[in-house]
Amino acid sequence: MSWRHLLAVARKETYHILRDRSTFILVLLAPTLLLLLMAYALTVDIERVPFAALDHDRSPISRSFIQGIAAGKDLDFYGYVGSLEEIEALLVRGEIKAALIMAPDFSRRLLSLEGMPLQIIIDGTEPESGAFAVDHVGWRAEQFLRDQLSAQLQAMGIPLDTLQPVDLRVRAWFNPGLEPRVDLIPGLISMVLGFPALSVALALAHEREHGTLEQLMATPIGRAELLLGKMAPYILVGMANVIFMPVLARAWFDVPFHGNFALFFLLSIFFLFAVLSMGVIIGVFMRTQAAALALSLLLIFFPGFFLTGIFFPIAAMPEVMRLEALGLPGTHYAIITRGMFLTGVGLEVLWPYAVMLIVLGLAFTGVAALFFRKRLA
Amino acid sequence: MEIPDPIIRSRGLGRRFGKAWAVEGLDLEIQRGELFGLVGPDGAGKTTTLRLFAGLLSISEGEAWIAAYDLSRQAEAAKRKVGYMAQEFSLYGELSVMENLRFFAAIFDVDPQEVELRAADLLAFAGLEGFEGRRAVHLSGGMKKKLALACTLIHEPEVLLLDEPTTGVDPVSRREFWEILGDLNLLGSTIVVSTPYMDEADRCMRVGLMYEGRMIICDTPEALRRRLPGDLLELRPEDWRAARRTLAGMQGVLEVQTYGEALHLVVDDAGVRMPEIQARLEEEGVGIRSLRQTPPRMEQAFISLIRQMDTQEAD
Repeated sequence: MSWRHLLAVARKETYHILRDRSTFILVLLAPTLLLLLMAYALTVDIERVPFAALDHDRSPISRSFIQGIAAGKDLDFYGYVGSLEEIEALLVRGEIKAALIMAPDFSRRLLSLEGMPLQIIIDGTEPESGAFAVDHVGWRAEQFLRDQLSAQLQAMGIPLDTLQPVDLRVRAWFNPGLEPRVDLIPGLISMVLGFPALSVALALAHEREHGTLEQLMATPIGRAELLLGKMAPYILVGMANVIFMPVLARAWFDVPFHGNFALFFLLSIFFLFAVLSMGVIIGVFMRTQAAALALSLLLIFFPGFFLTGIFFPIAAMPEVMRLEALGLPGTHYAIITRGMFLTGVGLEVLWPYAVMLIVLGLAFTGVAALFFRKRLA
Repeated sequence: MEIPDPIIRSRGLGRRFGKAWAVEGLDLEIQRGELFGLVGPDGAGKTTTLRLFAGLLSISEGEAWIAAYDLSRQAEAAKRKVGYMAQEFSLYGELSVMENLRFFAAIFDVDPQEVELRAADLLAFAGLEGFEGRRAVHLSGGMKKKLALACTLIHEPEVLLLDEPTTGVDPVSRREFWEILGDLNLLGSTIVVSTPYMDEADRCMRVGLMYEGRMIICDTPEALRRRLPGDLLELRPEDWRAARRTLAGMQGVLEVQTYGEALHLVVDDAGVRMPEIQARLEEEGVGIRSLRQTPPRMEQAFISLIRQMDTQEAD
């Protein structure tokens, strides 16, 4: 292998990245933009879910109950309605996402400790908002109950705890506030850092489309020199993003980085090598940029979304999918980023994933070099 | 090792794509120092032939050598001796003229100390001085072709394979490009060039006419022209439409082609037909400005040869 050839290809590719504005933006800024976009799109905090109330009881207690429910900013009280039909109309128009129905004997049964006859109707077409409403109504109902009845219960000599027989205290380690962003951002970072794979696939297909690859094939350049030379600048760009991403995570999303940064950097290089090799394989097989783009989305980004465990736990997948997930660099790298950002673990835990990244990288490069012929057609 | 002439040689060379033969049974010998033209209609196999000799396509059948390398076994080694310019050669647009040259120099392992010297020579030769720093994407079409040629020359190849280098280039640049090729040839380069233009074929020492994957004829332009069956007459009538109507299908008139207001008539025997044509036109009241026998042009020779092939196939 000739270093001069490799360097010549790498230099040429670097000029292309730096001078072609669309490539430059795609390669350097796309990961950041993607991260911001996905972080906001995927972690929309649900709040102010509008709900209506159908109060058959019409008592001071039922009214103060509704006031209590609507107190926070999580649920928005739309108003009282008179019938189920009205609720349906409002749900259909999307003006409310949930409705509370209080039975005629609501206050009587409440005061006699027989329970709380309350019905919640939610919009099944938007289950997230509905589930949110159910959670919050339940939570506030409990508070209301406690406030209303504590005096009465104490007078009757019943301890308050009987209202809450299970004393379950949940502690979310590594993400105490259970904030969705904190757990999602490292996963997303692992995904967007794979973006240069798309660029390298496109760059190869671009050469094929423009006839420059035919010209290169007529030269004595080696296959490995060409493929590695093409990958090198994208690995460098990827490394720049590797440095930038934790900074962005901390400054913008307030997501901490607990691990050893040098180790993270090293493992990220392994990942870049593996995922770029996937891009090279795509570039080797696809004749046009459009096809390369489509296949990159299909093979790298969609699986990156669904199979790498960022959003859906791998353990919950069917076996075939789990095997496929093992073959994706993103799966292993997502574990590494999460570990390093959130728990701060080191190689003692992460080494199997590092090894997998190296294995995948070598395997993919091998496949690419095997199938890349310096022949046309 | 002494390199034997011819510099390009093939025996029964063939290349198949699926079931279709793009090139078949090609026997070719091109001597060192020749300027050889490949002509033929689109899809005749010109590009495939050049790609085979450039080592870009594997050989399906037969044998081929270039610069003493056997292309079925030593294609990679042969690439060092060959300068190949693809039909759709596009340079790296984001690289400057000099950067493109340096890139190919590095790939061909040109001595780094010699690169700048050679590049300067080539740019002067191709008339690209003063454009060293310009990005290739900002060059005109003709200049791009010249730069492409300079890039294929940077490693001083023994033989140049150029696939339709002047297609899509304006006439002035086309002429300049051919002057450069002529100069290169004078300096001793062997050049094989494919072209759809007959005037370019005329500039070659020998021309091979390809048709449906086969080389149906290979000779000097002059000899090819003589192969035109019958004679060529040039008629300038007062009214070419009327003349064309009158003469088409007349006995002994094999072909009528329109060139502006003149008609080119291919006839079986000029001596017999000229008076007949004159008489017939007078009969019909079509005035004649001039009627004379003219030497056949390359284009007519090719069209006739290809028509002959078609009729033979139909038979």
